[in-house]
Amino acid sequence: MISIILGKKPKLANEENPFSLKFNIKENLIVVLLFISASIAIIFSAAIIYTLFNGSFVFFSEVSILEFLTGTVWVPTEIFRAFGVLPLLSGTILIAGGALLISIPLGVSAALFLSEFASIKLRSFVKPIIEILAGIPSIVYGFFALIFISPIFRDNFGASYFNAASAIFAVAMMIMPIIISLSDDAMKAVPNHLRETSLALGATRWETSTKIVMPAASSGIIASILLGLARALGETMVVVLAAGSIAKLTLNPLDETMTMSAYIAKVATGDIPPGLAVSAGFAVGLLLFLITYVINTIASRIVIQIKTGASVKSKKKQDQKRNILVKILSKFRKAITRYLKIIREKLSKIIYKIFKPKPVSLTKRYWKQRIGITLIGGSIVIAAIFLVLLLGHVLSEGIGGINSTFLTSYPSWKPEKAGIFPVIMGSVYLMIMTLAFTAPLGVGAAIYLNEFAKDTRYTRFLRRIIQNLAGVPSIVFGLMGVTIFVTLFQFGPSLLSGSLILTIMALPIVVVATEEALKSVPDSFREAARGVGSTRWQVIRHHVLPNAAPGIMTGIILSISRAIGETAPILFIVSFFAKSAPSGIFDSFMALPAQIFYWTTQPKEEFHVLAASTIIILLIILLAMNAVAIIIRHRAQAKRDW
Amino acid sequence: MEKNKIRGDIKIQNVNVYYRDNHAIKNVSMEIKQKHVTAFIGPSGCGKSTLLRCLNRMNDEIIGCKTTGTILWNDIDILSKDVDPVPLRRKVGMVFQKPNPFPKSIFDNIAYAPKIYGIKEKKKLEQIVEKSLKDAALFEEVGDRLGDSALSLSGGQQQRLCIARALAIEPEIILMDEPCSALDPIATAKIEDLINELKKNYTVIIVTHNMQQAARVSDNTGFFYLGELIEYGKTKQIFQSPKEELTEKYMTGRFG
Repeated sequence: MISIILGKKPKLANEENPFSLKFNIKENLIVVLLFISASIAIIFSAAIIYTLFNGSFVFFSEVSILEFLTGTVWVPTEIFRAFGVLPLLSGTILIAGGALLISIPLGVSAALFLSEFASIKLRSFVKPIIEILAGIPSIVYGFFALIFISPIFRDNFGASYFNAASAIFAVAMMIMPIIISLSDDAMKAVPNHLRETSLALGATRWETSTKIVMPAASSGIIASILLGLARALGETMVVVLAAGSIAKLTLNPLDETMTMSAYIAKVATGDIPPGLAVSAGFAVGLLLFLITYVINTIASRIVIQIKTGASVKSKKKQDQKRNILVKILSKFRKAITRYLKIIREKLSKIIYKIFKPKPVSLTKRYWKQRIGITLIGGSIVIAAIFLVLLLGHVLSEGIGGINSTFLTSYPSWKPEKAGIFPVIMGSVYLMIMTLAFTAPLGVGAAIYLNEFAKDTRYTRFLRRIIQNLAGVPSIVFGLMGVTIFVTLFQFGPSLLSGSLILTIMALPIVVVATEEALKSVPDSFREAARGVGSTRWQVIRHHVLPNAAPGIMTGIILSISRAIGETAPILFIVSFFAKSAPSGIFDSFMALPAQIFYWTTQPKEEFHVLAASTIIILLIILLAMNAVAIIIRHRAQAKRDW
Repeated sequence: MEKNKIRGDIKIQNVNVYYRDNHAIKNVSMEIKQKHVTAFIGPSGCGKSTLLRCLNRMNDEIIGCKTTGTILWNDIDILSKDVDPVPLRRKVGMVFQKPNPFPKSIFDNIAYAPKIYGIKEKKKLEQIVEKSLKDAALFEEVGDRLGDSALSLSGGQQQRLCIARALAIEPEIILMDEPCSALDPIATAKIEDLINELKKNYTVIIVTHNMQQAARVSDNTGFFYLGELIEYGKTKQIFQSPKEELTEKYMTGRFG
């Protein structure tokens, strides 16, 4: 019947063909649903782009793009109307660059130590800690920066109350886990035979790791740094709390400064007068989005190159071959490199004649190794000290504040009477709703991509969209949520809007984790199931999903725990004066990270204690979720017999 | 389950298979006799497995694989677009190179396919499992521990379990893709005995690297080289008096 409607009446060689293709409604419906859940990422991305361009359009109809990009003064009030983005850009570069200056040497050497010199025992102990560190919400680093690091600079170096240096240190700590874990992955991926070859030639382990392993892993290390940079550029909460709110064209780290993301956050908290200054936030968001987009694209290209063995580049080279102009250019380049090579060879000959290097003694080489290992081992110790300081400080400050009043009463102006009951409930509801949206969408999208999608242009486009979504700065999601969900869809500043924003943020992580879990199911199961005549959905439903379930669940839990620790994206919509827990999806709400932010910004010392106590509660919830994920993974690995 | 049997020889006509730019099967035509054992032999990469996988449309699942030509079975072109590979695979069972039991119990491994075809009664499933295990000469060894994980069996037992699993769907044809390549000689001997039993009721097509095995178990043999069918005929004739020089070279190990 349906096949007739669709005009797909099969032509049979034999009317009694038992194999004739029948239209299977259920199968096709499922594929359509999976396809839709994968394609929804496109709608989300379109919404972000619409938000940024639409908001900026108003701004750029009053302020010229040239003025925006080249102006050196940023005073966004109606009277001054100075909209030069350079001070914001310089603040962003100062903080991200400073953070990289600290985290690159520490992070890369910690990764080198972990990958090449740490014992298996130490490694299996440190790796999970780094994973947990990467999961600590940025608001916690922000609190730490303002309350703990900032006074150090104030007292010893004469910095202003808000200063860039404290933000730089906190952001460095925040991106260090990213750099460590990705660089470590890259170095671990270097095939062992390279190490063995080098050792067999009489190189020390230090020489092997610095001259063979690190160069071989260099593109992975660069990618990890770029991803860390993108994260630092988009980081909001640390900067808002610790760096201040005056846009200055300065690179002095002891001075107050403002970044692009911080300005958007100011818009979110309502500290900016309405009008052009608010739409300026969208223009700044657009610029920030474009910068991080470029960096993320470069980083992901490098990562793909590593994974597939330079296929991206070679494909590009094939394309280049068609272009005559490029051909000439490449010939030109080849000539230059040839001349450079000749010059270099001659230079090295001269240097050799002058200095006549002597063979290096073995003791010297061993000393080099000893010093090297001590130094990079020390970087792990430094990172560990930072961690202990951070947690210890928060614990000692906040543990005293946790009592039954704190857990059961409502936020108040009087610190001694304040509690976080409705805030906890708000976060719990937010978590449940985000889970309800993210899990089906993310798993559906991953199943579609991994099991059904053919390698078409559309599939590649979809993958890129999802990947890019993962790199969007979190404050930009806030802009998008307030434009699309709150205003356009009329959901208001409600639980529903908040959970939808967090869903979009968590979606790419769930998709990636689920795909990973699906890929770990051996293809032989799929073949065996197909071989006995299972339909495509039966193969997935009966064999792939049950075996991938632990991995999928772990991924979902981790991404949700990441999402509910986020502050920046929901900063626009939380109600800072929650008097009751939300009772419906259209109710206003308050969440733990936003409450921490609010209390940290209060001048009274007692509120900082409340913030620390709230941090402890938030960390307990996140750690509990992480523990559940680890237990699930562990159990599944013990039970797995394939 | 459906009762109607599909009988008849399989007529492979002008089949070509391409993997992206690679022309894996070049214009192969042959006729496979029902209720006989047919062996495909040849050096690796010669396309014998590819052709085997055409017979139950397993190549459909490989991205970038294109098949042309016809394979007629009881006057139905099974390569036609109108043929659904899912019901086809019910009639064409397959045993893979490496034993690939599902990570479930022995019972569930065999009962899986009957279950998805709608057999729900426990009694009937038990009958099917017992019969399939007996046909695969495995019942005596595992009959008392059907609840155990299939992965606890030895490699040879696992492979016979996979054969039992293929038999449980009552196919007409059984495809075997180097079924013994991962097994030791004793397990191999058991599988070969089993193949001799199976041909009473089933059409068996086996891909093998091992020429002695082809000689021992098959009635007809096709020799493939670089995607072409070089020679096809009675196994005895192929082994004792090959018509083609290439076949003889391969048989005597003087290759290349």
